[in-house]
Amino acid sequence: MTDGADLFLEQRLSPKLLLVRPLRSLRQTAIPIVLVLVVGHLSLWSLIAPVVGLGWAFGEALLHWLRTTYRLDGDRLRVKRGLIGQRMLSIPLDRVRGVELTASPLHRAMGLAVVRIDAAIAERKEDGTLDALPAAEAERLRAVLLHRAGAASEPVEGQEERPPLARLRPRWILYAPLAGESVIPIAALILRFAFNIADQLHLFGGSRRLLSLVEREPLLLVPAVVALLVFLAAIATIWFAVLNWDFTLRDRDGSLVSERGLLTRRGTSLERRRIRGWELLESPLERLAGVARLRAVVTGIRSRQGQTQLLPIGPRVEVLRVAADAVFPFEGELIPHPRARGRRLVRALVPPLLLTVASLPLQLEWLTGVLALVTLLGIPLALDRHRALGHADDGRRMSVREGSLRRRQVVIEHAGMIGWSMHQTLFQRRIGLCTLSASVGAGRGGYAAQDLTTEEAVRFAAEVTPAWLGPLLEPEPAALRPSASPAAPRD
Amino acid sequence: MAERLRPPANRVAPRAMYLWGMEALGSVAGGVVLAVAAVLAIRSASPPWFQGWIADDIWWLPVLAAVVLLPLVVVQPVIRYRVHRWEVLPEVVYTLSGWIDRRWHMVPISRIQTVDTRRGAIERVLGLATVRINTASHAGSSTIRGLPGDVAEELAMRVARQANEQRDDAT
Repeated sequence: MTDGADLFLEQRLSPKLLLVRPLRSLRQTAIPIVLVLVVGHLSLWSLIAPVVGLGWAFGEALLHWLRTTYRLDGDRLRVKRGLIGQRMLSIPLDRVRGVELTASPLHRAMGLAVVRIDAAIAERKEDGTLDALPAAEAERLRAVLLHRAGAASEPVEGQEERPPLARLRPRWILYAPLAGESVIPIAALILRFAFNIADQLHLFGGSRRLLSLVEREPLLLVPAVVALLVFLAAIATIWFAVLNWDFTLRDRDGSLVSERGLLTRRGTSLERRRIRGWELLESPLERLAGVARLRAVVTGIRSRQGQTQLLPIGPRVEVLRVAADAVFPFEGELIPHPRARGRRLVRALVPPLLLTVASLPLQLEWLTGVLALVTLLGIPLALDRHRALGHADDGRRMSVREGSLRRRQVVIEHAGMIGWSMHQTLFQRRIGLCTLSASVGAGRGGYAAQDLTTEEAVRFAAEVTPAWLGPLLEPEPAALRPSASPAAPRD
Repeated sequence: MAERLRPPANRVAPRAMYLWGMEALGSVAGGVVLAVAAVLAIRSASPPWFQGWIADDIWWLPVLAAVVLLPLVVVQPVIRYRVHRWEVLPEVVYTLSGWIDRRWHMVPISRIQTVDTRRGAIERVLGLATVRINTASHAGSSTIRGLPGDVAEELAMRVARQANEQRDDAT
């Protein structure tokens, strides 16, 4: 690859976008237009509207092309927008955290890619987007941006041949429904859409008839529910495949570069030195199947959709191998929180129990029944949440784990820590427990170890960061303290 | 090594009790206004159950609200004053706060990005200031309220200077 000297001159986007952008807006408006032409009364307006729309889309694309230029200027990338009123976005290269290349099928057909620059600056995100460059040019810009961003300057040639750190095997896609969490909103959307259409076409003849059918033949519910579950699983699998097809993770130029997607290919680079740790996510079903998901904990990037994925799903062993290869291994044994069980139970059971009791005067048997069932389901949930709790340290990295439906174990390197906070509610104080949070300038900002004894919390914090905690520890002997000090944790 | 934290060394200014009391007074007043509004709304709607002793004694509702919320004004500031503490060590800023709960914050000075002081209207009257210590994580940031103005200035300067010398914000 080149050194990118010409990037110091003013660069324009690819002229092909004059074709891509109108086509894309056409795709969005095509369905309404067809509907108007087919269903609507044929009027003059219904003919003019599409023409006006097309003209508008083309004009917008032309304007976008004319008004956007970019160039390197010293140690910054300057993106200029506007013909008359100009806006200049200036991104210091040492603040570039990652560069994402996206190509929709349309972009791919034209050999284009969208470059999105993720930088630690207080400006709007979309301004760091260049839509679109020729794919090779986009690739080169990414290399230059990340290269100059202080990444290790190794020779770039010939790195492509190295085997990827991780690759999603096609059959792992079948695990997708086990994750559960992404399925529900999509399924709800699709079901609502289907119901709407069915309703419009009077397929049901009103929901009342459906209800009476269920009342007469309650056994019909079983195949219906099974069919629904199969349908949801299928949707989840397809959705997952579209997003994550042929996910690969590579080590390139001091960055972790991932590529994914069936139709639209997305490529994300995460600068290695900004990766502070990793997190392992598991749902109960995934735990049964022995699979897990892996994400990076990256400075400045909240774990949004996909961006920080290191492996979308895979067997647990494989996931841990990828974590060790791509970020770092963790050898610590999690220490459980034995005294947390009571609080997990109370917190899971009391709210639904109160609701159940509150529903009694309403004399709605089914409502009380459902609430009681929810309360009962809270018991295994609470026990599982208790089992999940743990914390560990292996001398260079610390780790905490929590959650049941979404169990999360996060591993953070000590250098990524930016402090501790310890919280104790009134109830926790009475039984000598507290919640210890490690603050991290990455990912979610803080990761909590719930319901440890205060002694264990202090011991753990002092083990991970002895220099910070040492001067805060009470000198020995710690036996009897004046009870006048309300500040000290009680047992 | 003892596995217990000692409390931070310094208390905040006793005047801070007035600050917390007056702030609480604001929310109590809000609660009473809400109760009065609720009474007026119920009166004008006059639902079927609004009769007998309920209708006669409804004006006790705002009073009840005031009585229930009053501990916020009187007790809360006193407890807070007894709990809140702070200390600046060579490597860490250590704070403790809360009244029915407790929050310990340990912010290493090397990870501090900015230190601000802030004075609200009540604080200015009382000659108090709030020091906010910011890190790259909002969860890792810490706030010390109710410091005497000059102590706050001095503290902010000192922490900022120390932070500049040790800076490594882990981003």
